[in-house]
Amino acid sequence: MKTDAMEIEVLSYRGIDVLKVYGDIDLYSSPGLRKNLISIICKKPGTLLVDLSNVSYIDSSGIATFVEGLKNMMCYGGRLKFIGLPDRIREIFSFSRLDKVFEIYDGIDQAI
Amino acid sequence: MSEKTDLNISVSRDYIKGLEKKVSDLNTLIDVSAIISSTLDFNTLITLIMEKAKAVMNAEACSLLLYNRVTGKLEFEVALGENADTAEMLKKTITLDMGQGIAGWVAENRSPVLVEDVSKDSRFFKEADIKTGFITKSLLAVPLVGRGGLIGVAEVINPVGRAPFTEYDVEIFQTFCTQVSVAIENARFHKDALEKERLHQELELAAVVQKSFLPPEPSLIHEPFELSAVNIPAQKIGGDLYDFIELKDGHIGVLIGDVSGKGISAALYMAKVISDFRYIARIDISPDRVLNNLNAMLSRTSLSMFLTAIYMVINTVKEMAEFSIAGHPPIISIKKGVVDIINDPSGPPLGILPEFVYKKDDLSFDAGDRLFFVTDGVFDVTDCNGERLGFGRLSEFIKGHASSEDLMKDLLSFVEGYSVETSKTDDITMVEIRRR
Repeated sequence: MKTDAMEIEVLSYRGIDVLKVYGDIDLYSSPGLRKNLISIICKKPGTLLVDLSNVSYIDSSGIATFVEGLKNMMCYGGRLKFIGLPDRIREIFSFSRLDKVFEIYDGIDQAI
Repeated sequence: MSEKTDLNISVSRDYIKGLEKKVSDLNTLIDVSAIISSTLDFNTLITLIMEKAKAVMNAEACSLLLYNRVTGKLEFEVALGENADTAEMLKKTITLDMGQGIAGWVAENRSPVLVEDVSKDSRFFKEADIKTGFITKSLLAVPLVGRGGLIGVAEVINPVGRAPFTEYDVEIFQTFCTQVSVAIENARFHKDALEKERLHQELELAAVVQKSFLPPEPSLIHEPFELSAVNIPAQKIGGDLYDFIELKDGHIGVLIGDVSGKGISAALYMAKVISDFRYIARIDISPDRVLNNLNAMLSRTSLSMFLTAIYMVINTVKEMAEFSIAGHPPIISIKKGVVDIINDPSGPPLGILPEFVYKKDDLSFDAGDRLFFVTDGVFDVTDCNGERLGFGRLSEFIKGHASSEDLMKDLLSFVEGYSVETSKTDDITMVEIRRR
C-alpha cells in the first residue's frame, strides 16, 4: 500500500485551476484528496481540471471522492474535467463506465 | 540553635526538620508510585493523585488541566478544594488557550512557574476565581509532558499552615508530576486498549450481521442450473455483495455488487443495497428496470457512495437470461470451451446519475456453459513488486483453464498465489453460473 505516496499540486493554467495528482489514490490517500478538492470547489470555479497523468491506481474510494466533487460542482453549474488518464486508469474508468459520468480529455488544451 | 548528639555532631533543628520534610516527601512519592500501580482507571487515578498532591504540598486547593489536542485548549479535569462543586463548574465553563493565564503560559513554555502573589502577575486569569468564589493568592504550576507530548498542567494553590511555596517545592512537585504524566499516559493507553477491544468485538458482531444479508448458502441448485459464490472480505466487514433470489415462473435473479469505499460505511450501504434490491426484484423481473429503480433509490441519498453491479435474471425453463451491467467488471463467459468477455450494455455505477436509463441484453445457455462474475478485488491484487494482476491476466488464466471442473477454486488459488506476499486490501467476490 503506497498510502503516503500520493501528492497533490494545485496549478493554474490560463486562469483555470488544475489539480495534479501523483501516486495511488486509495482508501488511505483519498481523504487528503477530498480535502484539497473540496477546498477548491468551495470557491465555485467554473471549470476544474484534474490531471491524472501521474496516477498509477485509483480505487472506488478515490472515484467516490471525485463523484462527491462532481455532485458539488453540478449544484452550481461547474464542470469537473479529467485529463491525462494513463492506460491503467483509463481501463478502470472504462470498466466502470465513468466516461458517462465524468468529462474525460486527452490533454489540457482539449479540455479548455 | 543547635543540639549535641551522642556522636558529638552539632546539627541545627531546622536542618533536621528539613531532612524530615524530605523523607516525608520521598515517602509521598513512593505512595504515589503505589497509587499509580493500583489502578488503571483514568478517572479514579487522577483524583487519587491530585488528592495526594494537595496533601503533600500542604495546599488549599489543586487543579489539573488536560490538553485537548483537537481544540488545542486546556480543560479543567480535576479541581480539589473546599467546595466539591467547583470542579464541575470549572469543567463546564472554563477552558484556556495556549498562553492564556498562568496555566496556559506553563503549557506553552513547557516550564514550571512559582507565583508568590498572583495579584502582581499580569498572566493570572481571574475568571476562574470570579466564577467559583475562590481566592487564589499564590500558586505553583508545572507542565505534564509525556512521550506523546503535552498532557496538561498541574497546579497547587495557596500554601496552608506552612511557609510560602519555595524552589524546593517546585522541584518536588516536578518530580511528582513526572510520575503523574507516566500514570496518565499509562491509563490512557489502557483506556485506548479497552476501546480497541470493544470496537473489535463490535466489528465481529457487525461481520456476523453483515453476513446475514448474503444468502445463507453460497450455492443454489435449480435444475439444470447451479449457482455458487465465494465472498472474502479484506477486513472484518466488506463492501462486496452477491445475491441469489428465486423469482416467479422458474426465474432466478443473480446479483453481484461492489460498494465504493470500505469498512463500516460500505457495510451499512451494502445492507441498504441488498434490502432495496430484494424489494425491487420481487416486483419486476426485468433486470434493466430493476437497476433503474435501484439507481433511483440509491441516488436519493446525499452520499457520494455508489455501487457497481451486474444483475442477471435466468429463465430456467427457457434456459436463457437477461442481464444489465452498472459500471461493473465484465461477465466472463465460457461457451463450448471458448472464453468471451461481455461488457455491453453497461451503464455507470448506480447511485450517481439518477436519470440514467440502463439497458439489457440476453443470452442463451447450452449444456456445459458457464458464466463468471467477479468484483475488482479479484484482479486488483498486487504481487510483491506492487504490480497489479489486472483483468487481462485474469481472463488469460481463465482461457488456459476453461475446461477445469473446479475453475472458481483454481481462480481463487491463482489470485491468492499472485498476492501471497502482500496484504489484501479489497474484498474478493466471485459468482459462477453453470448450466449442467
